[in-house]
Amino acid sequence: MRIATFDDQRMGVVANDDTMVDITDLLQQYDPLGPEDLLPDLITNWGDLKGELEQRAAAGGGKPLSEVKLNSPVVRPTKIICLIGNYREGTDRPIQILDIFFKSPEGIVGDGDTVILPPHQADIFHHEAEIAVIVGKTAKDLSEDEAMDAIFGYTAFNDVSARGLGRKGINSFLGKSFDTFAGFGPWITTADEIPDPQQLHITVDVGGELRQDYNTSDMERPIKELMTYLSSVTTLNPGDVICCGTNHQGLGSMQHGDAVTTTVEKIGGFTLHVEDTHERAWQRGIDEEMARRVRETGSGREGSQLTGRASS
Amino acid sequence: MRLVLTSDDRIGVERDGGVVDVSAAFEDIRYRTAKDRMPRVLAVFQDRRSQIEELAASGEPIQVNGLQAPVPRPPKLIACFGNYMEGTNRERQTQDMFLESPESVIGPGGTVILPNHPATIFHHEAELGLVIGRRAKDLPADERALEVLAGYTCGIDVSARGMGRMGPSRMGKSFDTFTPIGPAIVTTDEVPDPQNLRVTMKVNGELRQDYSTSDMEYPVVEVLSFITGYMTLVPGDVIICGTNHQGLGAMQDGDQLEMEIEKVGKLSVSVVDPQKREWARGIDKEMADRVRAVGQS
Repeated sequence: MRIATFDDQRMGVVANDDTMVDITDLLQQYDPLGPEDLLPDLITNWGDLKGELEQRAAAGGGKPLSEVKLNSPVVRPTKIICLIGNYREGTDRPIQILDIFFKSPEGIVGDGDTVILPPHQADIFHHEAEIAVIVGKTAKDLSEDEAMDAIFGYTAFNDVSARGLGRKGINSFLGKSFDTFAGFGPWITTADEIPDPQQLHITVDVGGELRQDYNTSDMERPIKELMTYLSSVTTLNPGDVICCGTNHQGLGSMQHGDAVTTTVEKIGGFTLHVEDTHERAWQRGIDEEMARRVRETGSGREGSQLTGRASS
Repeated sequence: MRLVLTSDDRIGVERDGGVVDVSAAFEDIRYRTAKDRMPRVLAVFQDRRSQIEELAASGEPIQVNGLQAPVPRPPKLIACFGNYMEGTNRERQTQDMFLESPESVIGPGGTVILPNHPATIFHHEAELGLVIGRRAKDLPADERALEVLAGYTCGIDVSARGMGRMGPSRMGKSFDTFTPIGPAIVTTDEVPDPQNLRVTMKVNGELRQDYSTSDMEYPVVEVLSFITGYMTLVPGDVIICGTNHQGLGAMQDGDQLEMEIEKVGKLSVSVVDPQKREWARGIDKEMADRVRAVGQS
């Protein structure tokens, strides 16, 4: 089933005929305090709700998708956990130590929304397409057998990244936590429809040009291992998001006027627009230097601004 | 005013060595648990200040059996990288921060549980904590920034070293129970100068950390201005301002930690390690020297 948020924080199911069936009324029984409670309530009560949601979706009567405004399917998770470089990227290096950072939930945007580049003097702003896991239950110290059962579903994610900010030598990843830098969409596809999440094609298209183009089969530590490991660090809550990292072969700049579409097979695609009041310009196309650096050293490089106003 | 959250979910104000229940001032605030309640309470706290003060002045102190963290799960938990000069005369380093898991918060009297992960050591980092009371973006780096604070508190940034891939590990600071916060949110009028506070950490009565916030590299107003240049702050967010690494030491099974910040309060927690690992006791001098030499842990 496809679970969406739309038209200013309503919840819906996307039926097989690609119409949006509003289910916000069904969730009122859980007495939500705000729109941020709808998804966690739906996840927590999934066993009770699933049958009725299927019936409603089958009954039809929804709005055509073209007539609704999608919002991020993730409204206000207690955590957005992001994996640091988690793809092989054509190398035969040893598996790297698992590492993560936390991304600000204040940055969440959805399909059709705008990423606003801040005036900070970043070397470049990159798109990073990823598959993201939506946690399905409160989870701590999951065993391997329990790991996949703690997943509610999956969505597509763009981990917008400002490079070159912050203190040298420590990599705070704070350049990924600007407001509007966490793109999710178009909806959540429930786990039952994705029996093998390690076999999904992921792409990024910028203005008709293909940039990222990789498969989750190349993931260094698979989702099952992420679930067991991360739940040994921090308690996971229903609706928390685990972003599985990107393949850096195919990253490129995001700049003023761009339309960036992130697509994950079996889930779908969503588009982010880019606004930069400084109208800075970087070289278009794939950042080959970054790609090479990651293959050779496991970490990226600083980009270089071509034109536009110098930022503050 | 010193605002606390009791273990039985009452909101209180400290008075005459006791706690007066002021929950009545927040009766209209809907919530499910203390975790989602306190950010909502803090969002109205400043506007209802006079009502809360009246309740605090007129009520009788109640029996309190322990406190929770005044914000049991902040919407965001933000930590500063090394933010003290530590006796060096180097240039100020580039300002930088990171996010920790908000699930890691525990309260006064709580227990830090060392996980079964291969850390090289677990350190205590005593820090001044800021609790946010208003939505804020792009704050100026002057006194006006302080208006967004609900108040100050104590924070211990427990740190597992040697975890993760690069630099000081964010993950090693995000284990459940690794961020004791409390005991109270102390309003800014009680702390007229946040850059002149003595911070101490004692382990089993032995003094380890002992520094002043006057040594802070980027003061509180610059912390607030910097982070709101990146992201919107919301009520209940907690920022810990970084530690002075001169005086860090191991935390291990059975330890009793007591940190104190002048005018802000005293925060005590205990440590349990099911693996019963042992490290040298006392101050980690090698760490202290390294931070003075290269500016990071």
